[in-house]
Amino acid sequence: MDDAPLDTSTEIETPEHIRFRYQLAGPARRGVAYLIDLVIRGAVFGVLALLLYFTAHGLDFEEATTGVLLIVLFLTEWFYYVLFESLWDGRSPGKRMCGLRVIKEGGYPATFADIVVRNLVRGADFLPFGYALGLLVMSADHRFRRLGDLAAGTMVVVEEHAALTEPLRIKPAPTPAELATLPARVILRAGELEAIELFLRRQGALHPEREEELAELLAPTQAQRLGVRYQHAGRFLALLFHLATQRGS
Amino acid sequence: MSSYPHQDAFVAARSAEWRAVEGMVITGGPLYRRPPSEIARFATLYRNLCGDLVHARSAGYTSDLVAYLDGVAGRAHGALHRAPPFRARAFVDLVTTALPRALRRQRRFHAIAALLFFGPLLALAIATVLDPTTAELVLPRGQLEAMSQMYADELSGRSEGADAAMAGFYVNNNIGIAFRCFATGVLFGLGAVFFLVYNGLSIGATVGFVIASGHGHNILTFICTHGVFELSALVIAGGAGLQMGYSLISTGGRTRLGSIRAQVPDLSTTILGAAVMLAIAAGLEAFWSPSSIPAPIKWATAALSASLLLAYLLLAGRGPTEQAEARR
Repeated sequence: MDDAPLDTSTEIETPEHIRFRYQLAGPARRGVAYLIDLVIRGAVFGVLALLLYFTAHGLDFEEATTGVLLIVLFLTEWFYYVLFESLWDGRSPGKRMCGLRVIKEGGYPATFADIVVRNLVRGADFLPFGYALGLLVMSADHRFRRLGDLAAGTMVVVEEHAALTEPLRIKPAPTPAELATLPARVILRAGELEAIELFLRRQGALHPEREEELAELLAPTQAQRLGVRYQHAGRFLALLFHLATQRGS
Repeated sequence: MSSYPHQDAFVAARSAEWRAVEGMVITGGPLYRRPPSEIARFATLYRNLCGDLVHARSAGYTSDLVAYLDGVAGRAHGALHRAPPFRARAFVDLVTTALPRALRRQRRFHAIAALLFFGPLLALAIATVLDPTTAELVLPRGQLEAMSQMYADELSGRSEGADAAMAGFYVNNNIGIAFRCFATGVLFGLGAVFFLVYNGLSIGATVGFVIASGHGHNILTFICTHGVFELSALVIAGGAGLQMGYSLISTGGRTRLGSIRAQVPDLSTTILGAAVMLAIAAGLEAFWSPSSIPAPIKWATAALSASLLLAYLLLAGRGPTEQAEARR
């Protein structure tokens, strides 16, 4: 974990020696998914209760109805997650809506046994009430795992559906006069390049003064390093980005 | 550095394949249902994609591209290393061989669980028969008297509706207790110990008090058949909880988490087996136990069930495959 970034992601390495980064799901997002599932479970129970009530009303089935409903309650309490997470590859309806998925720590899909254990240990996470213990354990764990996850070796990740974005273009295109003020080749470190890129992607959404203020954080050190002067920090960074990504072309 | 192509050129050359992988992962179901040629193609595409990801990282391409490739590669990896699909056969195996094997492998935990449960149960039942006020240490007097009242009359059967209502109650309540017994075992076994002893004490107090009030024949006839399944299921659920807790303490050279994870297959088998036994118990408790069937038949059924259950746990799934499993 030496070079682990300070964010909520985790890296796994496959047998092919490929490293993927997964975005971990924190308590807030998982809480929302839990509430959605709770509403669905409640709705299933409510609809079934109404149906049984109306079909059995007046017949001698009323007590039997109670029995059926108690069994439904039991099944929705303990096996709702087991059912969906094993059928849908680690996603309950709530997790699906929130873009979450349960996976093994090695990045593999969770097996049926893992899912049974993680969801039955839920009983301990719930203690003493309202998932207090689960939340406590989660907040102490670097992968936001609750007791059930720890026991089964699973974790909950956010599935990123990042689309292939258009390459970043400098607008307006750099003029020869502008480029003449800078060295022909600029080499930036990956972190610097990323910071500039994130800044440039946000450029349209920022107030011009705020934009300049942010650019001023990075521009002076770069200008000093290259031994050049600039007029607008934002434009200067855009030009640097342009030059730095021209490699090999 | 100059050996890397420009990012735009790289994306233009490779993105068709990435989109092909994306398409195969997102649409059209699990991989194993595809034609063989497509599966083979997917493996190639995945390897190329992984190569591209490593390439993109080391070439210092922009982070959105790396994030995109990360996402596609992650999902492709998931599709390729899919969990084995669920088969009905697995459930048959669980009941016929896996459960008794897992219980025999972990017999010391289930033996300790049985002691923790039946010890307090018998001790308190005997103490209560000798001095009925002992029961009040565990349960309030009012509740004990209500229980005693329930068993004051001969069992004469109920309406079918009432039976079904009780079946639901038993499923919900008893399997819930057993699952909690198991789950709290993750707290170094302490929760499992607590719930085993606590349930043993309260059942012991109730049975003892009813016997002391002179209705012993009724309550024991009621309990005998379903108790065989219910009490043993509670014990094995608690035993699985103890197994889980102990694996955290004695790790056998693994990390604590690695140690608990090595137990997952047995834990899952045991707790699902306990759930099946409790479902059988709930059915018996609701429909058979309170019926007006004569006591001797109930006792004979109880004895038969107990011997069959014992024979099943001791003998089912024995043979060369079990020894091979044990060596692994």
